[in-house]
Amino acid sequence: MLRPGLLQKALTAPAVAEAATKCDPQAISGVALGRRSRTSPTMRLSRSSLLRLRPALILAILAPALFTACVVDGNQSPFNAAGPVAEDQKNIFIFIFVIAVVVFVLVESALLYSIVRFRQKGTAAKLPNQTHGNTRLEIGWTLAPVLILAAIAIPTISLIFDQDKGPVRGQVPDNPLAIDAIGHQWWFEFTYPGEDVVTANELHIPVDRAVEVNLISDDVIHSFWVPQLAGKVDMIPGRANRLFIQADEAGTFLGQCAEFCGEAHANMRFRVIAESADDYQAWLDGMRRPPASPEPGSPAAAGQTVFAQNCSTCHTANSYRPEVARAERDAQLGRQSAFKLDPENSRIISAPNLTNLALRSHFAAGIIELNEANLRKWINDPNDIKQGNRMSKQAAIYNDPASALSSEEVDQLVAYLMMLTPVAADAVPEAMEETGGEVSSENGEQLFLNTGCSGCHSTGTNTIVGPGLGGLSDRAGSTVESLSAEDYVAQSIVSPSAYIVGGAPVSAMPGTFGAQLSAGEIDDLVAYLLSLE
Amino acid sequence: MAQEAVISTFPNPFPRPKSDTGIWSWITTVDHKRIGTMYGISAFMFFLVGGTEALIMRLQLARADSDLVSPEVYNQLFTMHGTTMIFLVVMPLSAAFFNWLVPLMIGARDVAFPRLNAFSYWTFLAGGLLINLSFAFNSAPNAGWFGYANLTEGAYALGNNTTFWVIGLQVLGIASLAAAFNFLVTIINLRAPGMSFMKMPVFIWMALIVQILLVLAFPVITVALIELQFDRLYLTNFFNPDAGGEPVYWQHMFWLFGHPEVYILILPAMGIVSEVLPVFSRKPLFGYPFVVFAGAAIAFMGFFVWSHHMFTTGLGPAATSAFALSTMAIAVPTGIKIFNWIGTIWGGQIKLNSAMLFSIGFVALFIVGGLSGVSHASPPTDAQQQDTYYIVAHFHYVLFGGSLFGLFSGVYYWWPKFTGKFLSEKLGKIHFWLMFVGMNLTFFPMHWLGLDGMPRRIFTYGGDSGWERTNEWITVGAFIIALSILVFMINYVKTWRAGTVAGADPWDARTLEWSIPSPVPVYNFVKIPQVDALDDWWVKKYPETVLHQESHDTDSGQLAPAGAEDVLPMQARVSPEELLGEDHGIHLPDKSYYPLIAALGLAFFGGSLMSAWWLTLIAGLIMLYGVMGWIFEPVNDPEDHH
Repeated sequence: MLRPGLLQKALTAPAVAEAATKCDPQAISGVALGRRSRTSPTMRLSRSSLLRLRPALILAILAPALFTACVVDGNQSPFNAAGPVAEDQKNIFIFIFVIAVVVFVLVESALLYSIVRFRQKGTAAKLPNQTHGNTRLEIGWTLAPVLILAAIAIPTISLIFDQDKGPVRGQVPDNPLAIDAIGHQWWFEFTYPGEDVVTANELHIPVDRAVEVNLISDDVIHSFWVPQLAGKVDMIPGRANRLFIQADEAGTFLGQCAEFCGEAHANMRFRVIAESADDYQAWLDGMRRPPASPEPGSPAAAGQTVFAQNCSTCHTANSYRPEVARAERDAQLGRQSAFKLDPENSRIISAPNLTNLALRSHFAAGIIELNEANLRKWINDPNDIKQGNRMSKQAAIYNDPASALSSEEVDQLVAYLMMLTPVAADAVPEAMEETGGEVSSENGEQLFLNTGCSGCHSTGTNTIVGPGLGGLSDRAGSTVESLSAEDYVAQSIVSPSAYIVGGAPVSAMPGTFGAQLSAGEIDDLVAYLLSLE
Repeated sequence: MAQEAVISTFPNPFPRPKSDTGIWSWITTVDHKRIGTMYGISAFMFFLVGGTEALIMRLQLARADSDLVSPEVYNQLFTMHGTTMIFLVVMPLSAAFFNWLVPLMIGARDVAFPRLNAFSYWTFLAGGLLINLSFAFNSAPNAGWFGYANLTEGAYALGNNTTFWVIGLQVLGIASLAAAFNFLVTIINLRAPGMSFMKMPVFIWMALIVQILLVLAFPVITVALIELQFDRLYLTNFFNPDAGGEPVYWQHMFWLFGHPEVYILILPAMGIVSEVLPVFSRKPLFGYPFVVFAGAAIAFMGFFVWSHHMFTTGLGPAATSAFALSTMAIAVPTGIKIFNWIGTIWGGQIKLNSAMLFSIGFVALFIVGGLSGVSHASPPTDAQQQDTYYIVAHFHYVLFGGSLFGLFSGVYYWWPKFTGKFLSEKLGKIHFWLMFVGMNLTFFPMHWLGLDGMPRRIFTYGGDSGWERTNEWITVGAFIIALSILVFMINYVKTWRAGTVAGADPWDARTLEWSIPSPVPVYNFVKIPQVDALDDWWVKKYPETVLHQESHDTDSGQLAPAGAEDVLPMQARVSPEELLGEDHGIHLPDKSYYPLIAALGLAFFGGSLMSAWWLTLIAGLIMLYGVMGWIFEPVNDPEDHH
């Protein structure tokens, strides 16, 4: 009599949990009340009223789980798994959960039963039986948990090793897409090695392809967690951690830093945008095209200057140029070192890459929708949106009254940033064309701002990471004998460590700029640098 | 004679305290009972502080996008809530019970080192005040109770917030270690004649195991804290990744301490429950040796599971699997305890008073915490649960539903012994039911918040997350818990004067402390008892149960039939004249100022490291004076001897 009932219970409980995770009340009640198995022989066997009550009992026990599943809106719940990694993790949880519920019911019932049954009424005439123990029982309730735990341990360990290999169980992915995810206080940076694409807070991946996320941190420990795709793995400075994810369907999946990482930890979020291979490729291509140049004299054009003067030290906005994209990692590390030298007064810190910003749906580490009003609010008072953010603590515009932006400048900046979206594919060659012929210090200024020089060098005399370049012409001519000022500066750009002067340490400047710039561009840049007062 | 000469040359400006009443008699006391009371009161005060911190956090989280507190304040609140509840509430509450009960349950007149005991208490109090003093400087610790490097270092932890935390914990660690050695020596050396290890009450067993854990685990955190502080102050590179240090090394050190610490927090409560359940079931503890060895096994295995706090750090599949297995294995002895507790009440005559309700509540809630623990012993599911509210739910079932329910059970059970009066049963039951309902309303929904993806340690969450309604209920639950604590305080105030007087043995209990009057006389036992059996007092009251037991049970042969003489209660063997006589031959150690001076000097020394060097020098001299005075002071005043 008992066996079929137990069997049915074992069969029903996972089904209820499964239905619950799909958040479908009809399915839940249907499964739990045994409708699906109405014609099954097991149901016909269980005739006693007790057994007929059992599905209702299971429903009552699982009520919290049903509630759990149904309060979710879906985009940050591991139970709405959207990929094989999260799916396998969900399934093993449900397996353990069902065992735990059965153990819970048995043990709590034994406890409750003994309280009700053996509660003393009135004064007892004699003492109860003074049992001291029972060795057979002890052996029994030692072995039973051992067996249950073994049942949990075996699939657990098999899954640990499987998920170390790749996202789909038992398969080593043949062509995983490698992505570097870098945690910063308090935002996420994503780079696509080999693709020369860098972005922040919105990670684009193709569906149905294994993605190997290399987890890196430049400051403290963070944790990369997209509940719908996979459990978290920490991003630890100095360590190379790795996580496989794979999305079964296109969609946007919320992620959040899961390791406490300081003041704005709660607002360190991001999105994973899974899209078809074509859409993904289109996005990658777009990220490698420049935005349209603003109309001369327009607010956006003025905004570009505001950006170059006040923001470009920390924010790169031109990594559509492959050489800039490749240099971005070094630039971020340089910014981070500058910050660590003097955390209280540093005016520089690693910051989200803003290339083609307007392609994103959200900003400020994924916590607020990207639109003009929000962007204006953010630039005016970042703490109003994200308390504790580094920008308001470090950037000169918030800490040095002389550098503060006027409301007109803010409007111009917003206009510029909202324009940062790639030009059409056929418009690219023109935008990338060289000026040719004459040396132009105006073009040199653009190169200075857009090639990454301004990330480390000021045009005054203050040191950011590298020395300030104001008044360079006064000292460049006499630094190295037999070299003219022009040749010396040009040499220093192409080969930064060739001439180390004045007891300076080995240059930290990347030696990649020579390859990024044409001879004409170097001439333009040198002309600009030597024109600095 | 030489010793007397030394004493007279050591400068002591204070006359040795003599009075047994008044504030100074408490400040200078070395009596384990008074020290226990002070531990209890101090810990309860810190409990109110830590509870208030929790309530502010709950108010903040009751609404999505709430701005009641800033993230900085919220981070301070959760850091101090955890630090307070662990180091300033549950540990010292356990210490209060150890102080009161270890000598009484093993038939001793005091602990082995009474002045060291006073030093432990004052060091704990001073350390607790020091770490909370940080609020006055707007520098409360803000990096979590686990203080993960390298967030606690260099550019990421400017200011004194983490320094307060490091130094506070070091001072508290000294207090814990001093107390641990004291209780170890006491339990091993001062047991009454005849009380072999396997005749010790389970509470004493758990106390012994906890002291061993403290002695082995605290040095690890001490070393780690020194390394962290050296990194912060002297730019060493233990945990600094920029110079080749390893932040994960901190996690290994912290959890190698931190996991045994969990058992330091729960085993005393398990000991209390193991005393209360038999008394109110009128049956011996089921499977005494199994409960004892399960406790020892939990403690031993507790040193091999630390990395389950670090499954997401990328330990690699082999290490992850090993720690998953060891973590699952620890569920076995835990299960053994639970089954034996149910076996204890099975077939008994259960009396559901406040003490019993709290003990049964402990078992019922601990089961939930244990089962959720098994679910994140499996690393693949832990990857989704780690650092979410699921974990918050889990450890509050273990530490609130477990430790605190057990400790409250002990409060209701031993209150008559401590004070001579009963706490009100009516208010006690209201306290229990409010706390039981509030506790479940607060912490059960956290399971599904965590499963739904809500991370811990976040001061805010978005309104579109779907978490707001659940958080609202959790906050209601937290205030119900607060209300239950208010009922307990009313109970305390009401019964302080008007409580029913309890006799020496109001519960018809089993262990030695119930053989002496309530409240306990200063010397505890007029005559050190001779112990013949486990639950000696019960056996002497009911010798027939021994014979009864022998015929039914073949498991434990340690009970010998009692002689008629031994059955007489302890007090009955001593005439009142003997009891009140001038010279009953009981010598108790005299009061002393020095433990207090040494303890305050130590905490001042720690705190002064954040200020000027000359303050540190002064503090060091105060500490040195306290220690030297202590060394040269005889236990008993030589002018006072008989």
